[in-house]
Amino acid sequence: MNSAHDLGGMHGFGPINPEPENEEPVFHTDWEKRVFGLALAAGFLGKWNIDMSRYARERQHPVDYLRHTYYENWLAGLEKLLVEAELVSPEELKTGKAAGPADESIQQRVLQAEEVAEVIAKGSPVAMTNSTLPRYNSGDSVRAVNRHPMGHTREPRYVRGRVGIIHEYHGTYVFPDRSAEGSKEGRPLYSVRFTSEALWGESASGRNAVYVDLWEDYLEPA
Amino acid sequence: MKVVENTPTVHNLVVCTLCSCYPWPVLGLPPVWYKSAPYRARAVADPRGVLEEFGTDLADDVEIRVWDSTSEMRYLVLPERPEGTEGWSEADLTELVTRNAMIGVEKAKRPMNIGRNR
Repeated sequence: MNSAHDLGGMHGFGPINPEPENEEPVFHTDWEKRVFGLALAAGFLGKWNIDMSRYARERQHPVDYLRHTYYENWLAGLEKLLVEAELVSPEELKTGKAAGPADESIQQRVLQAEEVAEVIAKGSPVAMTNSTLPRYNSGDSVRAVNRHPMGHTREPRYVRGRVGIIHEYHGTYVFPDRSAEGSKEGRPLYSVRFTSEALWGESASGRNAVYVDLWEDYLEPA
Repeated sequence: MKVVENTPTVHNLVVCTLCSCYPWPVLGLPPVWYKSAPYRARAVADPRGVLEEFGTDLADDVEIRVWDSTSEMRYLVLPERPEGTEGWSEADLTELVTRNAMIGVEKAKRPMNIGRNR
């Protein structure tokens, strides 16, 4: 969906003002740490995948997305997912009190402290067995399709309609657009090189290029 | 994960314009600025301006390659080896490599930055 999360090329946000690397804490407040832990732990209940999590954050009102800090967006997304998966009712969210115990099937999946390091290290596999041959080879000229789906997509607005060159074929990977709907389908994934001139025209700064990972569905021959 | 190498003519920079994708297993959680709207908006359109904000000046003929992490593939920058480090051990060289250098917003430190003569 065309929302506030798709930030590439936007103007007006001002300077970055980075904190010095050796002075920046991992979390700036205790609640950030708690939201981070809560979101990861809730994810392991198996009710949603990473693309559904991203889509939940993206579906906020654009004003809210931009107004929120990073972990506020995580929390907003988590609340949406918890209610949609019927793990928490809107009433429970409002009062902060559980109306009753969770289902047995959920209780059995609750992540235990001693399992955390192992499951985090393991991650969630996204590479899939090749089912179809890739349509494009390195060096092929391709255009990012000018499409504006209402659902989740990982084709940023700033590349749509632009022509680039296939830099590398990564293999077959879970296709986010379907994954956000709960369907695990593998599609060929490529790294595509776009010159800054192709993306930004006369306002391009120097002889630069942007490499974007794009699934075959996002591409057409050019 | 892909490692992209800086050379005298190419400088690499990593961003995630759509969210905050970052090589957690290697670098830990990303800093606030990496997840911020100004960085995500500008890294792809004005990388030179972004680098200047981090105090990184590149010669005009250096090509900046920006890697937008739109898939689950993660990117890590291999900084250019600073001059005057010939014969240094891996442990010595490690002292010169910062997290920011591996995102690509800075170069590796130089020997003088850690109090060593060239």
